[in-house]
Amino acid sequence: MKTFSIRIGGEAGQGLVSVGNILLQAITEEGWYLFSHRDYESRIRGGHNFTQFRLSTEPVHTWEQKIDVLVALDKVTVDQHRQDLKENGVVIYSPEIQGKTIDEPNFVAVPFIQVAEDLEQPKVMANAVAAGAIWALLDDDLGVLHTIFAAMFSSKGDDIVEGNKKVSQAGYDLVREALDEREKPTKPEQVAERFLIAGNPALASGALAAGVKFMSAYPMTPSTGVTEFIAGHAKECAVVMEQAEDEISAMNMVVGAAYAGVRAMTATSGGGFALMTEAMGFAAAAEISVVVIDAQRPGPSTGLPTRTEQGDLLYGFGMSSGDFPRAILAPGDPVEAFYLMGHAFNLADKYQMPVVVMSDQHLADSYETVEPFDLDKVVIDRGELVSGEEAGADYKRFALTESGISPRLLPGNGPGLTVAAGDEHDEAGHLVESAEERLAMMEKRMAKMKLVEEEALAPVVFGDDDPELVLIAWGSTKGALRETVGILQEQGKKVKGVHINQVFPFSKELEPILNGPGTKYVVESNYSGQLQKLLGMEFAWKPDGSVRRYDGRPLGPDYILERLEGGMQRG
Amino acid sequence: MADTKFPTTLKETAWCPGCGNFGILGAVSEALEGLGLEPSQVLFVSGVGQAAKAPHYMAGNVLNTLHGRTLPTATGAKLANADLTVFAEGGDGDGYAEGGNHFLHALRKNVDITYLVHDNQVFGLTKGQASPRSDPGQVTGTTPQGVSMEAFNPLATAITLNAGFVARSFSGNKEHLIKTIQAGIQHKGFSLIDILQPCITFNKINTFKWYRSRTYDLNEDESYDPTDREAAWKRSWEWDDKIPIGVFYKVERPTLAEAHPALEQGALVKQDIAKESIKKLIEGFAVK
Ligand SMILES: Cc1ncc(C[n+]2csc(CCOP(=O)(O)OP(=O)(O)O)c2C)c(N)n1
Ligand code: SF4
Ligand SMILES: [Mg+2]
Repeated sequence: MKTFSIRIGGEAGQGLVSVGNILLQAITEEGWYLFSHRDYESRIRGGHNFTQFRLSTEPVHTWEQKIDVLVALDKVTVDQHRQDLKENGVVIYSPEIQGKTIDEPNFVAVPFIQVAEDLEQPKVMANAVAAGAIWALLDDDLGVLHTIFAAMFSSKGDDIVEGNKKVSQAGYDLVREALDEREKPTKPEQVAERFLIAGNPALASGALAAGVKFMSAYPMTPSTGVTEFIAGHAKECAVVMEQAEDEISAMNMVVGAAYAGVRAMTATSGGGFALMTEAMGFAAAAEISVVVIDAQRPGPSTGLPTRTEQGDLLYGFGMSSGDFPRAILAPGDPVEAFYLMGHAFNLADKYQMPVVVMSDQHLADSYETVEPFDLDKVVIDRGELVSGEEAGADYKRFALTESGISPRLLPGNGPGLTVAAGDEHDEAGHLVESAEERLAMMEKRMAKMKLVEEEALAPVVFGDDDPELVLIAWGSTKGALRETVGILQEQGKKVKGVHINQVFPFSKELEPILNGPGTKYVVESNYSGQLQKLLGMEFAWKPDGSVRRYDGRPLGPDYILERLEGGMQRG
Repeated sequence: MADTKFPTTLKETAWCPGCGNFGILGAVSEALEGLGLEPSQVLFVSGVGQAAKAPHYMAGNVLNTLHGRTLPTATGAKLANADLTVFAEGGDGDGYAEGGNHFLHALRKNVDITYLVHDNQVFGLTKGQASPRSDPGQVTGTTPQGVSMEAFNPLATAITLNAGFVARSFSGNKEHLIKTIQAGIQHKGFSLIDILQPCITFNKINTFKWYRSRTYDLNEDESYDPTDREAAWKRSWEWDDKIPIGVFYKVERPTLAEAHPALEQGALVKQDIAKESIKKLIEGFAVK
């Protein structure tokens, strides 16, 4: 697959976001497939951050380390990133920022601010200069940028729109003069309908499509995008999003709302998740359906607030004190994020238990061009509910049944009463202490786990049926896994990629794969190999090796291939 | 009592005979019966502690949650189903220690629920340790040298945060308690009722006699104006030979439900999914 990558580095608050937004729109409007991820520091101004765009005429699901174009909006970008340039890669930089001109092949000087000022335009238009300069490497005219400026700035007046057009043309011209006859990425011909979306809005809209009615949360990067998305659409979607005083409160509000009968969720990250776990255990004991998104970031503690890791798996698996039914889903891309939210709510409702959806910063913040979401594919199953009439006056919330599922009467639909408790209880929900009643209730709850296991999602598998190498990954590593498999196949290797999007309980379909042909490697973003450990625990299995990343940066095919070649850490 | 819809003799209680909790249980039952409510319309969200067991002994929906978490849980339930009459109920340890942060924010949020705090000034269930309501000097299992710090003043805190309905009552004064609970239910917004509740087993200082000889109904004085915030705040510090009970402070403020446009259409749990809006929103991700 031929792809073209542009990396723009700069300080926070410096226009990086504006240039990025212009490019994001322009690239997609021209019909390219796009994968765009961000690497940023936990600060509002300054620091060094970058955004990367990888485009192709075919779908792209991950990033690449090597880049075609480097755009330096700050001083450190050139030195920090030039080693990632592909052969013949271009650097667009500003002598005024760099404090010097760089006389090297493929370095193009574009004094962003000065160009704007020479044309008697305000400094902020440096962003448009940069956008025009980049566009010169992608396309033969600026038409699409002009359309975007018109849409972005029409409310600010024609002068602003015209100013942006003018300065972007100047940026474009500077690059064209310096590097005239360069090969540009192939332009897409037929463009099918598609979506451009990141993980956070995909999770949030998946929840809305699944009928979430209540959310409470306390802001924590990288989950906040979900919270703000739901809050922003709460009015028209008839949803309540209540910001809590802390994550303990958020989770308990969700429990209260879910008990009252609505689909309810929260979203958080590591430390916030830690504060929620007591109430998740309560939800398990009182058999209340709750959904929690954990957008992972590197821990322990607040760790690297704005970066990525898959280090919460075993913690999420533990979830709370005691034994109880649970499920953990791990979408690998925005499409899975959208549909798995619906699945999470169905599981929670059917089995009256907590369900965790594990995302991470890489999934949360990365934009990807994907097939359109289909609302008709979203099935809502609220599990076993009974009306007041069916329940009768002697309704027992925790009636012992063979399946372990006790039909729910939502409170307020009496004459029956819905009594639920976190202390051990009898069928009616009242507190008990006897060993017999404890056994009956514990076994009733755990019986549900058999059904949850039977329903576990099969892994997503790509590549060869009879592999010599099997790569196993979970969550946001899906795109990197898929591309790695493709590259190795092109090299003539027989490879299978296994993406696990339900990490607890595992699908039984994993067993023959784990014990089947091929050398097995587990690929994941954490230090200790948490997926590997969990697989080992559930299947008494050990891989032949592993690829792990825990520097806070996302796994990509380059990294995986390098480790595979370099002889791996043993499992 | 025989034909009440809210019988209190459904279960054997786990309380010590003579405990102040019985008076509260009886008063809640009579208050609800008096207002003509149905058990299925009422929800008690209680925490963990001796006090928090109360809802199990009476008819009503019950969500007996974690220690200290009654208020957020009750808030979530009320926002999801505004048609329920929702109580939060628990001990002073539950509400003012473990749940202290939630207490502060519940006062601000002004969700329309009634909060009953069984205030026995100790941790009963864990056998008598100091609570935030224990007076300085009180010797307990965890404070052998005596409580070193100031007692928490829930009423002053509530008035400071401009809570809508701030009251104190006494489990030994049934008439007063019933009246106060009914006023709390009828108040639109958050109602705090701190109920003096003798723990006869672990609190040998704040006994029935101790409270009875000190409490007086401040609302009997017709010149007392419960809308005067400053006066209410001052009165909330009276805790010596005389201890006022009654409604200290009352103000109408927008409730939390009014902050959520979705709730204009009625109880959330009765609303359908806004399919059209969601479809439109999702189409917004399309690339032209
Ligand atoms: C998270 C947590 N910490 C501690 C406990 C133990 N615990 C149960 S009740 C209680 C204090 C009870 O005091 P209070 O709330 O005043 O209720 P009372 O028994 O006095 O009515 C404690 C510390 C618990 N259940 N959960
Ligand atoms: S320990 Fe105290 S509060 Fe608990 S039941 Fe006995 S007397 Fe009542
Ligand atoms: Mg107490």
